[in-house]
Amino acid sequence: MTPEISLSAGALSKSYVVQNIRTQALSDVSLTLHPGELSLISGPSGCGKSTLLSLMSGLSRPDQGWVHALGVDLGRLDDAKRDAFRLAHCGFVFQGFNLFPALNALEQVQIVLDYQGVPHSQAQRGAARALEMVGLGHRRHLRPAELSGGEKQRVAIARAIVKRPRLLFADEPTSALDSTNGAAVTDLLREIAHRSSAIVVCVSHDPRLIARADRVLEMEDGRLRHDRRGRSGLSFKEISP
Amino acid sequence: MAVALARKTLLHEWRRFLPAVMSVGFSGVLIIVQGALLLGIVGTNALPVTQSSADLWIGFPGTQSADLGRSIDAGVSAELLVDPRVVRVEPFLMGTGDWRGPRGGGISVTLLGIDTRPDGLGLAKALSPGTRALLEEPATVLVDAGDRDKLATAVGEAAEINGQRVRVVGTTNDMRAMGGVNVVASLATVRAIDKSLAAADNVTYYLVGLRSPEAATTVRNRFSQHENRTRFEVWTAADLAERSVRYWLLESGAGVGFIFATIVALLVGILITSQTLMAAVAASTPQYATLRAIGVSFPKLRRIVVEQAGWVGAVGLAFGLAGSLFAALLARLNGIPFALGPGIMVLSGGLVLAVALLAGLLALRRLRHADPAALLR
Ligand SMILES: Nc1ncnc2c1ncn2[C@@H]1O[C@H](COP(=O)(O)OP(=O)(O)O)[C@@H](O)[C@H]1O
Ligand SMILES: [Mg+2]
Repeated sequence: MTPEISLSAGALSKSYVVQNIRTQALSDVSLTLHPGELSLISGPSGCGKSTLLSLMSGLSRPDQGWVHALGVDLGRLDDAKRDAFRLAHCGFVFQGFNLFPALNALEQVQIVLDYQGVPHSQAQRGAARALEMVGLGHRRHLRPAELSGGEKQRVAIARAIVKRPRLLFADEPTSALDSTNGAAVTDLLREIAHRSSAIVVCVSHDPRLIARADRVLEMEDGRLRHDRRGRSGLSFKEISP
Repeated sequence: MAVALARKTLLHEWRRFLPAVMSVGFSGVLIIVQGALLLGIVGTNALPVTQSSADLWIGFPGTQSADLGRSIDAGVSAELLVDPRVVRVEPFLMGTGDWRGPRGGGISVTLLGIDTRPDGLGLAKALSPGTRALLEEPATVLVDAGDRDKLATAVGEAAEINGQRVRVVGTTNDMRAMGGVNVVASLATVRAIDKSLAAADNVTYYLVGLRSPEAATTVRNRFSQHENRTRFEVWTAADLAERSVRYWLLESGAGVGFIFATIVALLVGILITSQTLMAAVAASTPQYATLRAIGVSFPKLRRIVVEQAGWVGAVGLAFGLAGSLFAALLARLNGIPFALGPGIMVLSGGLVLAVALLAGLLALRRLRHADPAALLR
């Protein structure tokens, strides 16, 4: 594993002050994530998982510590450069699906490529392919109101992967879904990690997902407690080159 | 073509945007209708000018509005004719009288005295040559079709002005004045009725026809030399008409009223439109934040909102113009002066689009809530 294609963080700390009360959301967290595997950050609600994701993806800045993503020190980038970095490399899946009510599935996905400046016909083909990958090729003309929750999250995943990001972040992607759909979405994220050799980080407090991850990082009280390989970590080693 | 997010959202959620479109449209209608009515009403004071085909008007120095003319020296006529570019000069009289019709009604009227020759310049646009010829008979007058009720006199009937008997022989078109009544007669008839104009060398205006109308400004400048300034003043027809309208806009206070009402219409438009756009932005905050997360820059999100504001403005303006044309039709059917010119339409169009864009800029503040880190909780 060359250091350039990893996502590492060192000694990350972050606190929030609300009405003069300081909450230490994250304390001295260090970790390195690798491409081609689904890393799951788990832990009880409020333990700092989302905060960690936000720092690692460059959406916010740490109080202390550093983040190196794909060989770039995110702390050295100004806001515009971080926007550009995310536009080039990062995909996101959130708990809420956050789809535009007016757009059909294809357009939801295509708009990402539009903003990257990809020509129209190419963007349309890319979006169609991403929808095929999440198994929604046949539903591409439906709007969010006509899709089920699981389907909406799969559109959101297609939107996240359409630009073939090297970093894919998912925050509680299954918590608005029933267990069948939740399992399907997790399997999909793992499959994406294996097939695209992207760094895929998923945050969840749902213990049912642990068995499906290649690597599980457990957090508690703003600190990293355990870092272990899940069962499927073995199969990952077989698949990955 | 890229996915038209702004337009698709507008179409999909048209109910949400409808109040903004309506308020923009109503602001437009309000401004246009008010402005057109005001210009129409005030413009009636310039009717003697706008309905005549003279290139230049010669009148009392310092006259502020066409309807406020005073007598000038009749010798001017000969001086004007010396210029080879001048092809004709004819007197135009403006007097006053007290009208009594067969079915009552004492009402003051404005007497307009014109040269009755078939190719006369005075009120050429308001009279057909045939009607004009009717005035050659002494003691005959024309009234505007819209004023017949006010004067309580039908065509063919007799009436009295200042105790002198006259007969209504026909009607004029578009000579209806607001707040006054225009009665048209020959020069001789007016002199007979209004004693203050009785002397043959008493003339309110000279109307000048030029060989080529383009020469109007040059000829005016020639006769506006210093030594003439105390005897008469020369205006192009457009100058005098504009001067009359401007005078009454300021004098009557109606202009101030219009500006005030326009400001109110604009403020209400901005308020409703910005509220609507803000609500639309608020409803899409998580979606916008998601775009921010994947690296779409803030200015690009701004473009979406501004584009929506632009569409709201454009559609609202289209409704506003349609409404104004309908109002113009109603005004026309009811003989109400309604000056719906390109000027007022462009003005209100510009204002209304400015309203929409300003509202869009106000709504942009809500975009600050689209913080992608807030999606991670
Ligand atoms: N923007 C914020 N402002 C104030 N407090 C916050 C903010 N984000 C997170 N926190 C606090 O930081 C702690 C960690 O939150 P978070 O990272 O969202 O946990 P998790 O995702 O594991 O549930 C919590 O106590 C939370 O209340
Ligand atoms: Mg969370």
